[in-house]
Amino acid sequence: MSVSIEISDVIKKYQDNTVIKGLSLSIKPGEFFTLLGPSGCGKTTLLRMIIGFNSIEGGTIAVDGNVINDIPVNKRNMGMVFQNYAIFPHLSVADNVAFGLKQRNIPKDEQKKLVEEILDVVKIGHLKDRMPTQLSGGQQQRVALARAIVIHPQVLLMDEPLSNLDAKLRVEMRNAIKSIQQKVGITTVYVTHDQEEALAVSDRIAVMNDGVIQQVGTPKHIYQRPYNRFVSHFIGLSNFFDAKLTKVNGMPAVDFGGYVEAMTNIDTTILGDEWENAPVMVAVRPEEFAVAKDGEGLEATVLSSVFLGISTHYFMRLADGKDVEVITPSDANAILPDGAKVKLRVLPQRINVFTADGSRTLIADDEDGEPA
Amino acid sequence: MSLKKPSIWMAFTLVILCFFVLFVVYPLFLIMYQSVVDPVNHQLTLDYFTKFFGRKFYWSTLVNSFSVTICSTLLAALIGLPMAYLLRSYKIPASKYVNILIVISYLSPPFIGAYAWIQLLGRNGFITQLINQLPGIHFGGIYGFAGIVLVFSLQSFPLIYMYVSGALKNMDSSLNEAAESLGCGAFDRVRQIILPLVMPSLLAGSLLVFMRVFSDFGTPMLIGEGYKTFPVLIYTQFMGEVSTDDHFAASLCVIVVAITLFLFFLQRMMAKHYSYAMTALKPMQPVKAKGMEKIASYLFVYGVCFIAMLPQLTVIFTSFLETVGGAVYTGSFSLMNYENTLFAKDNSSIFNTYAFGLAAIVFVVVLGILISYLTVRKPSMLTSLLDTLTMFPYIIPGSVLGIALLSSFNSGLIVLSGTALIIIISLTIRRMPYTIRSSTAIIGQISPSVEEAAVSLGASEFTSFRKVMVPMMLPGVLAGAIMSWITLISELSSSIILYTQSTSTLTVAIYAEVIRSNFGNAAAYSTILTLTSILSLLLFFKLTKNEDISV
Ligand SMILES: Nc1ncnc2c1ncn2[C@@H]1O[C@H](COP(=O)(O)OP(=O)(O)OP(=O)(O)O)[C@@H](O)[C@H]1O
Ligand SMILES: [Mg+2]
Repeated sequence: MSVSIEISDVIKKYQDNTVIKGLSLSIKPGEFFTLLGPSGCGKTTLLRMIIGFNSIEGGTIAVDGNVINDIPVNKRNMGMVFQNYAIFPHLSVADNVAFGLKQRNIPKDEQKKLVEEILDVVKIGHLKDRMPTQLSGGQQQRVALARAIVIHPQVLLMDEPLSNLDAKLRVEMRNAIKSIQQKVGITTVYVTHDQEEALAVSDRIAVMNDGVIQQVGTPKHIYQRPYNRFVSHFIGLSNFFDAKLTKVNGMPAVDFGGYVEAMTNIDTTILGDEWENAPVMVAVRPEEFAVAKDGEGLEATVLSSVFLGISTHYFMRLADGKDVEVITPSDANAILPDGAKVKLRVLPQRINVFTADGSRTLIADDEDGEPA
Repeated sequence: MSLKKPSIWMAFTLVILCFFVLFVVYPLFLIMYQSVVDPVNHQLTLDYFTKFFGRKFYWSTLVNSFSVTICSTLLAALIGLPMAYLLRSYKIPASKYVNILIVISYLSPPFIGAYAWIQLLGRNGFITQLINQLPGIHFGGIYGFAGIVLVFSLQSFPLIYMYVSGALKNMDSSLNEAAESLGCGAFDRVRQIILPLVMPSLLAGSLLVFMRVFSDFGTPMLIGEGYKTFPVLIYTQFMGEVSTDDHFAASLCVIVVAITLFLFFLQRMMAKHYSYAMTALKPMQPVKAKGMEKIASYLFVYGVCFIAMLPQLTVIFTSFLETVGGAVYTGSFSLMNYENTLFAKDNSSIFNTYAFGLAAIVFVVVLGILISYLTVRKPSMLTSLLDTLTMFPYIIPGSVLGIALLSSFNSGLIVLSGTALIIIISLTIRRMPYTIRSSTAIIGQISPSVEEAAVSLGASEFTSFRKVMVPMMLPGVLAGAIMSWITLISELSSSIILYTQSTSTLTVAIYAEVIRSNFGNAAAYSTILTLTSILSLLLFFKLTKNEDISV
């Protein structure tokens, strides 16, 4: 049975340096949960607190309601896949995978059966007698995965398991990991700083910065409805605008300094009654623009363009000198020439509006999002 | 390389090849020849071998040698292994100094340890006298098998320590963590992960210990008394005062080389079987020990370190004691031992040590850089032959090399016996394999494209070697040269055979003084040697900013 993980107000200190300052998360049974964040934000630290390599200076971590703070690592029954795989170089593939079973005093023939089964699951059954040095990076990765899941851990932890692989193999392996995880159904905590990878594999993602969770949500929600400027900036590409709120027909609208776009999903309660004329920050992804020859919109000049097949990528300069990136679907229309003057409209249903300091969104929560 | 003009590399290769053929291959062949040829009628004969294996008096020395060597190697591993593990896994105060002390205890020649232990545990040793004051106990001193094993294990464990410690440093902590996450407890991790992973280094270190111990003759000579080992037999057959027999000694040399050769290949085979390339992203972090763990680990580490340093301390201490005739201590302090050695009229052995050591270092560095460059960057039949030849001395005990050189250049076309040159040559040859190995590693870290860039900019191949490669290699090579220097000035086994009155070195002088029971002078000479080593070692640490040593 899959387990839940409840992390409550945990604190991690390295000497005087508090790396994680009271962080809470709850991970659902069987979920593929990803910690995503820039380098040094504390992902590894948190993961190692879950498995027990790092001490916990405050708060609790509970698995299925049982606090595990004081249980030693070798009694926690959690599987871990290391960034460098940590394959035992002196043991064959089969012996590597059997290592954890051996510690559990499982009978030899049973061990053999389990090892063979799991090697088939990760599709390296034919390599079982090889030594680790005779394996490719992707194969070593599979051994590491097999070794971690063969012990039927309650929780599977992975710390940037794909970062040592080349781009193509990374895509292949992340699909493999995802499908194996679904097959086995283990609650999984996955660490990466690669947003594309996180979006591709996760059921839910927690975006971290500086030891603090910025947002937790499904990949789709995190991408489309970032909770704050950091998330919007870290995931995907966004063009940021300083704008203000105005009233159009009594409803909130965004005023980009002359160009006004009426909105339907602004939650003004956050700003109080005085929301009219309040400064806001607007994040517009390149694909959230509509390009037109004339009409309403921001005046822009095409600086250059890149044709990418499915879409065309433009670099444009606005009248106020700001540069923006715009992506349009490649349709029958000709590519705009460099120097062309155009009008840019934003798509009001899709853009995100934050408080002026970018600290939180003003978009009404319509979906499965949970504020941090 | 163009065919028109014979390349400069070819010339270097040939010159160096000639050097090794003349000073390694020819002497060894001569020894082999002597071992199977009757000096009178020049007929092939196996008499020398049958003489050896026919008489217990002779072959028992081989048995003795194996016994002390195996025991000492095992003990050295039993001390060195936990020492390395404890120092890598626990935060032990002053561990840096412990590390340096261990290296120092290793760098002093074993026979000095032997003589120091005689001062402590010999018939009239300090500790022996204390023990014998206890009622009802009579302790006759530690001689023979026990004494030899004591000296050798204490002198050799540092080598195992250094090898294992190096391997542990290259072990990524994630391996340990992976085992732990799979349910493996602390003790089982040592047994199932750490031990197998350090095994190749342990074997390599053990082989070196084995060969050192097996071929050392100073220690059993001093502390062995009736317990005669094989190198002692070789020495007495070749140099002894009574009934020397060069041809018999030659056959003994052949036997010892056969044994070391066999061990060398055995270790090679085992190493191949168990070699894992490990590099640690994140090495093991020492943690604070608690409770019993703390007491036990501190006791072990400091205890071993103290016992290992005891001979050095004894020697330094006794060098300041006043003696009568060098042998009997009067109980007061004085500088008389230094007046008799350092400031004596004839202190040439001190000067010689430095002069020969420096000269050999220059040879070793120049040849080492050239040979490793040639074998790595200009591979050919000739350079690979050169590579093999230069590794020979690795398995040839010093005394065998000394005997071979002396037999070859005693008469005939080239007479070198009694010269400083022959000692310098033997020192150079003995140290060559180590220098080549480390220079090869250094070259391996320099991308060939650096040199190609120089050539593409118009430098000739030799200029790019001189102006680009040599300066890039030099820091590493010089660091290695300091270590070589320390080992060279403590060399005894070939110098003792090659020296004459005017070419005596410190180690030879110490040995001679000990044999004459002139312990006062021996202590002063030893102290000078030890201080030189320590200062050189400190220089090494300063230059490399590194606590890890490879010898
Ligand atoms: N053993 C340690 N001692 C002191 N500080 C540490 C230690 N380990 C990590 N830190 C600090 O804690 C912070 C978080 O580190 P952590 O390794 O968790 O980052 P990360 O999110 O995993 O980054 P990356 O993506 O680069 O792996 C960093 O500022 C780091 O310097
Ligand atoms: Mg990390």
